[in-house]
Amino acid sequence: MTAGSERVVERLFFAAAFVSAFVTVFIFGFLVYYGLPLFSGGRFIEILSSPWAPHQGSFGIYPMIVGTLAISMLAMVFAFPLSMGCAILISVVSRGRLSKVIRKVVEAMTGIPTVVYGFVGIFLLIPLVRNVFDAGSGMCVLSASLMLAVLVSPTMILFFCDSFDRVPRSYGHAVLALGGTRIQQFLHVTLPCSWPGIVVAVTLALGRAVGDTLIALMIAGNAVQVPGSVFDSARTLTSHIALVFAADNESLEFKAIFACGVSLYLFTTILVLIIRLAVHERGKCGQVR
Amino acid sequence: MQPLTQPFIPSSVKIRVSNLSFSYNGREILRDTSLEFPEHAITAIVGPSGSGKSTFLMTLNRLWEELPQCTMGGRVEILLNGIQQNIYAPDCGVEALRRRVGMVFQMPNPLPMSIFKNVAFPLQLAGEKDKNVIRRRVEETLQDVGLWDDVKDRLAGSALSLSGGQQQRMCMARAMILRPEILLLDEPASALDQKAAEAIEQLLVRWKQNCTILIVSHYLDQVKRIADSVVELQGGQLRNRQVATPRV
Amino acid sequence: MKGASVGRFVERAIITFSWLAGAILLTVICAVTGYLCFKGLKTMSPALIFGSTDPMSALLLRQRVFDGLFPAMAGTLLLVLMSVGWAIPIGTAAGIYLAEYAGGGTKKIFNLLFDLLAGLPSIVIGLFGFSLTLFLNRHVSKELHPCLLLSSIALAFLILPYIIRTTQIALENLPVQNRLTGLAMGATRLQNLFHVLLPQALAGMVSGVLLAIGRCAEDTAVIMLTGVVASAGVPRSILSHYEALPFYIFYISSQYADQQELATGYGAAILLLFICLFLFAVAFVIKKNLPCQVFSQR
Repeated sequence: MTAGSERVVERLFFAAAFVSAFVTVFIFGFLVYYGLPLFSGGRFIEILSSPWAPHQGSFGIYPMIVGTLAISMLAMVFAFPLSMGCAILISVVSRGRLSKVIRKVVEAMTGIPTVVYGFVGIFLLIPLVRNVFDAGSGMCVLSASLMLAVLVSPTMILFFCDSFDRVPRSYGHAVLALGGTRIQQFLHVTLPCSWPGIVVAVTLALGRAVGDTLIALMIAGNAVQVPGSVFDSARTLTSHIALVFAADNESLEFKAIFACGVSLYLFTTILVLIIRLAVHERGKCGQVR
Repeated sequence: MQPLTQPFIPSSVKIRVSNLSFSYNGREILRDTSLEFPEHAITAIVGPSGSGKSTFLMTLNRLWEELPQCTMGGRVEILLNGIQQNIYAPDCGVEALRRRVGMVFQMPNPLPMSIFKNVAFPLQLAGEKDKNVIRRRVEETLQDVGLWDDVKDRLAGSALSLSGGQQQRMCMARAMILRPEILLLDEPASALDQKAAEAIEQLLVRWKQNCTILIVSHYLDQVKRIADSVVELQGGQLRNRQVATPRV
Repeated sequence: MKGASVGRFVERAIITFSWLAGAILLTVICAVTGYLCFKGLKTMSPALIFGSTDPMSALLLRQRVFDGLFPAMAGTLLLVLMSVGWAIPIGTAAGIYLAEYAGGGTKKIFNLLFDLLAGLPSIVIGLFGFSLTLFLNRHVSKELHPCLLLSSIALAFLILPYIIRTTQIALENLPVQNRLTGLAMGATRLQNLFHVLLPQALAGMVSGVLLAIGRCAEDTAVIMLTGVVASAGVPRSILSHYEALPFYIFYISSQYADQQELATGYGAAILLLFICLFLFAVAFVIKKNLPCQVFSQR
């Protein structure tokens, strides 16, 4: 292999990395370009805060933003304690074989297709919610966030466990040597040391919950309204894109889905930056304590 | 066994290090130090642990360039193919240099391939295509390190299945198959038992006929047994040291 | 002593809570898989896939299957193969660049952008795929419409960050010693990469690819916007519409006409679930066992 061809291959590697990185920026450019009439002259803020009434010429995505936040936040409210409990079970409470088996099951759960969750949601969860809460059709914020909680929990559990395991053993042994229990060790050493990892896990899970299309689309009911209670139907930004896409082309109404896309893009950017900061903090944590 | 009856005769200079400085991760390891190393001799490099002996070896085959956060200043000249060359000159190919300057590490580092492929690997890297030449050279070299009879029936087996001493001898065969002019060894016997270490020492003594050998060692008795000259690395300086007890 | 008993109570509460959480999670997962199996296992038969068509003539594309999953499975298979075909070369090369060549600043920017790409919701990637189609349709060829080709390109972008990351991590996790071994023998950087580093990183890379395949097979949002349809038969060309398993499940869940169709939906869901779990298991096994196996045979 000559030095020349060595250079060529190296350039090819760079080109591949550059193209992949460029696409990320390119996607944003495309979304803005195609949604352009809606973004000019400060109209973007207006769109984010006004209602959706295409017949009156108002293409605001405010209801969808509220719907997205309501469903994903509620999902986090269910998923966080559940995941924390499971992570404690795996890392602290149970030992040996059982802990390993539960971990394997959780890992396998990350491989379950979203559409399968949605499908089971329709035929199993919705009738349940309808009967238990007597909540109309059962297609509501509550159902969607319950199912989303199941979707995001495995990722959160694995990240929690991972950040617990990163805490150096010697710290914990210090507590045990003083006559502390494993729970005390967890509460006083492991948990305080692993908060950056917990932030990363929660942020990632929130990103998945906000970005998921299928579950909300299949079981949240998709009504364009600001949900007043957890039993109201709601529409997320992601399902709005899917639904309007199926309906129409070329109109201003259609352009609004690019506003949804841009909002999701920006939201993801913020989450990624938060994760970066938290990971940076984690790098420091190990040394200081 | 008849170790070293002939006295050590200083011959021409093989390696000349001038004004060498080196720092790793902001820590200064070598500070403006100069020294010459004679040809066809075994030079032992001793010094307190952590003084940078291994790093010094890496300045002679430019391997430190692959590690992050290192800086170097000064000159290293090596007599290669009878010509004195500045190995940091822009026209000096780093791969060609490393083929002339072999290296053996502290821990045996067989690659996860068969024994045969491990030993033949440098030839293959150097572009040798002829299967017969490769076979012959592998056999020669393995015989040279005394490993041939142990492994000739399982050349296709994994190199990881060899014992520690066998692995290290295989690594030495791998380093010698290109017939380098200089062999750098970084405490090659420290992970091995007494018997395996002695086998390696004998090899080195035999090899110095056609090779210049630099060996980092912690063991003074080992140094006494095989070294023609001793260099101490301390406080960033390389210094020639008298061999403590005269050899008989 | 009072403090100790409060502490004891908190401890009890935490332990009970964690068991409860574990029980809830396991119950949910058993309910999901159990329900699917209960409703769908009885549909598992060649008829689920080939309907009333003869399997052989369906496989040889002599006859179109109307009442089975065969077109959807064929569509998903082609889709996965094509997207992985795009993503593997680009993703591997980019991962290698990041692990082996990129320096400080460049690496930081690339890392950030790949994190962002990995975090983008798949519907946004789908929307991008669709706008790409609009763009190509206007400026390149009027013949281009949402189709298998464009779906596979959009999906490739979705899985690209996975492949880049697993390649990068597999290479960066190799011990420094292994890296120096080849170089000390006079290997060039590229020789060292291909002969020493990549073979050792292979297991990590392959398991990354398998997870990416799983992601391709299950994704619905991207393909919804780039050319999948409910009924198209086996795709005739890469420029035609196609069917896919996950979209079929989605479609059936709201549009089923009778119990027969719904049962096919359950069957499809089980099939997809098993495909994804299977890929997942294989990836797991490879990650654990491949290094020794590959090399002992060399």
